[in-house]
Amino acid sequence: MVDAPRDVLGPVAGEPAFDDHRPPRRDLVSDCVHCGFCLTTCPTYVLWGEEADSPRGRIHLMKQGLDGEPMTDSMVRHVDACLGCMACVTACPSGVRYDSLIEDTRAQVERRHPRKGRDRALREAIFALFPYPRRLRLLRGPLRAYQISGLQRLVARSGLLARLAPTLATLDSLAPRLRRVPRPPGRVPARGPRRAVVGMLTGCVQDAFFPDVNAATIRVLAAEGCDVVIPPGQGCCGALSVHNGREEQARGFARALIDRFERAGVDFVVVNAAGCGSSMKEYAELLRDDPYAERAAAFAAKVRDLSELLAGLGPAARRHPLPLTVAYHDACHLAHAQGVRAQPRALLAGIPGLEVREIADPEICCGSAGVWNILNPGPAAELGDRKASNVLATGASLLVTANPGCLMQVAAAVRRQGGAIALAHTAQVLDASIRGLPPSALLTPAG
Amino acid sequence: MALWTAATEADTVGGVPARFVAAPADTAEAAEVLRAAAAADLAVVVRGGGSKLDWGMPPRRLDLIVDTRNLTGVVEHAAGDLIVVVRAGTPLAGLGLGDQQLALDPVRPGATVGGTVAANTSGPRRLGYGTVRDLLIGITVVRPGGMVARAGGKVVKNVAGYDLGKLFTGSYGTLGLITECAFRLHPRPAAHALVVRTAPAEQIGALLAAVRAEQVVPAAVELDAPAEGPVTLAVLVEGTPAGVLDRAATLEKALGGQATDEFPPWWGAYPWTEAGMKLTAPLSRVPDLLSQGVALRGSAGTGVLYADVPVDDAPAVVERLRAAAIRAGGHGVVLTAPPGVRERVDMWGPVPGLELMRRVKDQFDPGHLFAPGRFVGGI
Amino acid sequence: MTVLDRLADVLRSGLGAGRVISDRQELRTYECDGLAHYKVTPGLVVLPRDAGECARTVRACVEANVPFVARGSGTGLSGGALPHADGVLIVTSKMRAIVEVAPDDERAVVEPGVINLHVTHAATPAGYYYAPDPSSQQICSIGGNVAENSGGAHCLKYGFTANHVTGAQVVTPAGDLVELGGRAPDAPGYDLLGAFVGSEGTLGIATRVTVRLTRLPESVRTLLAAFATTDQAGAATSAIIAAGVVPAAVEMMDALAIEAAEAAVACGYPAGAGAVLIVELDGPQAEVEAQFAQVTALCEGNGAFELRIAADPAQRALFWKGRKSAFAAVGRISPDYIVQDGVIPRTALPEVLHRIDEVSRAHGVRVANVFHAGDGNLHPLVLFDDGVPGQAERAEEVSGAIIDLCIEYGGSITGEHGVGMDKAKYMPRMFTADDLETMQLLRCAFDPAGLANPGKIFPTPRLCGEVPRRHKADEPRPAELF
Repeated sequence: MVDAPRDVLGPVAGEPAFDDHRPPRRDLVSDCVHCGFCLTTCPTYVLWGEEADSPRGRIHLMKQGLDGEPMTDSMVRHVDACLGCMACVTACPSGVRYDSLIEDTRAQVERRHPRKGRDRALREAIFALFPYPRRLRLLRGPLRAYQISGLQRLVARSGLLARLAPTLATLDSLAPRLRRVPRPPGRVPARGPRRAVVGMLTGCVQDAFFPDVNAATIRVLAAEGCDVVIPPGQGCCGALSVHNGREEQARGFARALIDRFERAGVDFVVVNAAGCGSSMKEYAELLRDDPYAERAAAFAAKVRDLSELLAGLGPAARRHPLPLTVAYHDACHLAHAQGVRAQPRALLAGIPGLEVREIADPEICCGSAGVWNILNPGPAAELGDRKASNVLATGASLLVTANPGCLMQVAAAVRRQGGAIALAHTAQVLDASIRGLPPSALLTPAG
Repeated sequence: MALWTAATEADTVGGVPARFVAAPADTAEAAEVLRAAAAADLAVVVRGGGSKLDWGMPPRRLDLIVDTRNLTGVVEHAAGDLIVVVRAGTPLAGLGLGDQQLALDPVRPGATVGGTVAANTSGPRRLGYGTVRDLLIGITVVRPGGMVARAGGKVVKNVAGYDLGKLFTGSYGTLGLITECAFRLHPRPAAHALVVRTAPAEQIGALLAAVRAEQVVPAAVELDAPAEGPVTLAVLVEGTPAGVLDRAATLEKALGGQATDEFPPWWGAYPWTEAGMKLTAPLSRVPDLLSQGVALRGSAGTGVLYADVPVDDAPAVVERLRAAAIRAGGHGVVLTAPPGVRERVDMWGPVPGLELMRRVKDQFDPGHLFAPGRFVGGI
Repeated sequence: MTVLDRLADVLRSGLGAGRVISDRQELRTYECDGLAHYKVTPGLVVLPRDAGECARTVRACVEANVPFVARGSGTGLSGGALPHADGVLIVTSKMRAIVEVAPDDERAVVEPGVINLHVTHAATPAGYYYAPDPSSQQICSIGGNVAENSGGAHCLKYGFTANHVTGAQVVTPAGDLVELGGRAPDAPGYDLLGAFVGSEGTLGIATRVTVRLTRLPESVRTLLAAFATTDQAGAATSAIIAAGVVPAAVEMMDALAIEAAEAAVACGYPAGAGAVLIVELDGPQAEVEAQFAQVTALCEGNGAFELRIAADPAQRALFWKGRKSAFAAVGRISPDYIVQDGVIPRTALPEVLHRIDEVSRAHGVRVANVFHAGDGNLHPLVLFDDGVPGQAERAEEVSGAIIDLCIEYGGSITGEHGVGMDKAKYMPRMFTADDLETMQLLRCAFDPAGLANPGKIFPTPRLCGEVPRRHKADEPRPAELF
């Protein structure tokens, strides 16, 4: 303004960071008033305390890019470091659409920033593996990875296996859950009067590693009066891709999923993995200038998180007592990206004998964040440790959350700390209560 | 008219006689006096009610006493805004603010507002209302050399510029002459009650913790410990009649004491006869100051006790008490002592930040003409 | 190699590469604090981990005769942490250990980067909290609070940062570590701690702060009262104070501010209100009950058309959410805005609000009012669109006129945001040249070379009568400090 001292740095040579294809929107960037309310909710700011690793700082970097600064390694490093947990979106009083900004920025980075050797190989391997449920299923049991034909070489060369080792070891520790579960049938009828017809996303990680969760979800939905349609041959929803700037891959997945579910003719599309749900709710934006645009909007309008749907319907099936103390962990993509906080708590609180405890600093991400923990194992472990301490401090015997990534991440951290807590998805707790199972059915501690 | 008159025999500070006395009637006149004093290279001591002239060390040099007896009166009492502006020479007791009060306990009979600020005295209710630094919101001073300066203002909430009021609070007149002060006021409480309990010294720590554990918001937690024997605690609560009754009942239980509305006779009076010390400690360490064989009294609720130092054994007692305070994490300062004693004890003890304080003094009073030697480190 | 390049090398080798930022884009992210229209890219950013590193950084600056500016969370609203282009920005956000919580002493000891609200979180299990609560308490740092003498909604009853800081370890502008005050009260000598708090980083950097913890109140009652006009709300405020009640907080928002808060956080304030008051009483149960009845009656007597009493902590939080997010929320109803911070005597409130309204109309600039009504601390939000030529200038004029009103009515140009860069120009309107000269004596005592946050608070720096030390080739190199 009038007497303001001016910047003394001159312009720098080099191509501006962003091209014209969906750069971060300048109007959204200028919504940020620099108040800093996001800082303490940002996991990387909590870890490092540096401005460029905060939402406010990243938005500032985007602005610099829009003003002509080049896409430097340093800029990319700070964009990459974002977990995409969206806690800042919740915290922002000015309503800055950081979610949209970071997605657009990441897509630019992926297209315009040549990644180097190892980083590139690791990312290739991740995106050749995770979005494909069938390939993922082959990974169950750490050593089986070596036998995956085709993938074997790619995975070995990238160093992915080493990065995956702790996660796979954690999965091993969850062994009782990893028994073979029959593939779900194509349609499960409602028990009692039908209240809705819902299609269910089986997901990639959920399907491969937590088939029990899907089974419980189907049972709960049916018990609550839903016809459950499980379209066969579902692929990935594209969440991992879109959260990592792989826009084209994400669009492909989205179109395929829309095709599958349209044919099923359902009232709602139910999702039990927070990350998937949040990206499916945003299909309209992802496919906004695509021939699928209209269908994407119609599809997105039907997407519900499991807890959201159940809370909306209200309980029909009888809940049996489940004398348990549980800590409920907000998955970022449920709480921050979808604003779903009250519903899972209400569902849990509706179970007789069950006490829900809050975890300190609930807004801070556990460090899982899709594949962030594979790309950034060190900081992810630090965040996991913080979360694990807060979880253990509740004294609860069961940790409940609605995202497979969080379950694995927190389980690994709890194990590192020598603690013990059992883990379950919200669906499993409801299932146990509806079926009248004893608490012991849920209390197999991880680690 | 002459700016000052010849001093009389009574015009001494700590036994040092002055040559002249000036009694300016307003800030402008005071500025004129101090300009002339500086030109004449006169060493100056400010005198209010004279109630603490024997505090600190005697001045190394003294020519002119600036007496504030004509700088009196309330300049402005804005009741709706809960503030008062008052001239420095006004007696602290009996300000007459209706149903409002300046919540500074007059601990020295005859003390002026300016003297209270300059010596930073406080009484029992410092627990509830804070001390001068918490209540003073604006100040007008005349610097050595005669420049008039103001800081703060007439509104409670104000962060414009440095808070010189805090700097002058407790500065013993070594930085300049305070002529006017603005304070925030509090409503006078409708009711009060005290709960009194006498107990052996060993139990005092537990009793104080019990008071802290309650949520009764005491206005004062005072302690009176004779040189020998049991210690008395008196807790004051102020507020609405119903609220006070309720809290007093809670305290009766917590302390095993008796509620009353009578203040004990020792309330708010310093315990010494000739030589007095101020001992401070963190709250949990207040009990460590007890059982030193001297009479103690003061605000156990804020960690400030005063000691009656026996004159015949002063150097040893001062060292012992000071050591106890420092061990506890506080300080031990000799506020006043008769001439024979002053020379034999270290009045101030260790003063962290003394180097910075000297630089502050050098800036404000480069000629070291204001109360030279009365303050810490010979400032 | 420039002086700053050399200094960067020295600091990197002395403190470690991770503590020093010199990447152009990263530096730029520090170009402003919460007052974003002042921008200066710092020459260098250093993030010390502890007091020792902070002192070494300052000493290296002194040796190189380079100015330095301290920054906490960068949420200040007066440009107090605006960097110096040829200087070092010392950021305390990595110094965030809560060293000790000592409820028995009613104290906590924290590093400067610790977030205000985190002190309360740490003390709550023991039944205590940290009373000063600026609206940014979820993010502002204790070090920044000390520099600015931050207030907050509850300082009507509990006072400001200065009343709750009993000790600080400080790096002086010469690079020395000094203890001011402590855990016990009334340290002997000048109250340098009192002078330091609120000195806006011009007297040094706090590296460890001892704060007073306050016992949690037995009872808290919060009332939301809706009025048709700000006049009525102002009258209700005066009546409450006149009745001898000292509420923990009395906050007011006008219609435009309510609209913004509603858009941002859906706080659900009564529809159609021209002003709302949030009145909070806390303390012993019986006191609060008695006074709450009084306050309710006074609000009704002064025309409140709806009264809501928070039934539980969640509803209380919702009342406050609207108020505490109001500044940033204004971003929802206006592309740009200036947050003003001025103080008037409480009794002048209705009159000054009318004057502000006149100024606003005359300039065609909208003003939303949010304020701590209890202590007359106004926070007019002057709305404008930087994209429309001339609007920014008009907004600045309105903002300046409001400050003039504050001075005219015997108030202050800042109640809690500080003078910083933004208001240095107004200082001569509130203080005489002699006043300012006198204040700067203190600065000369601490910082004769004028290296600590130069250009802030005082429009005209005073020469301290000493030649600042200059770094010469034959003097010890800064590297030898390490």
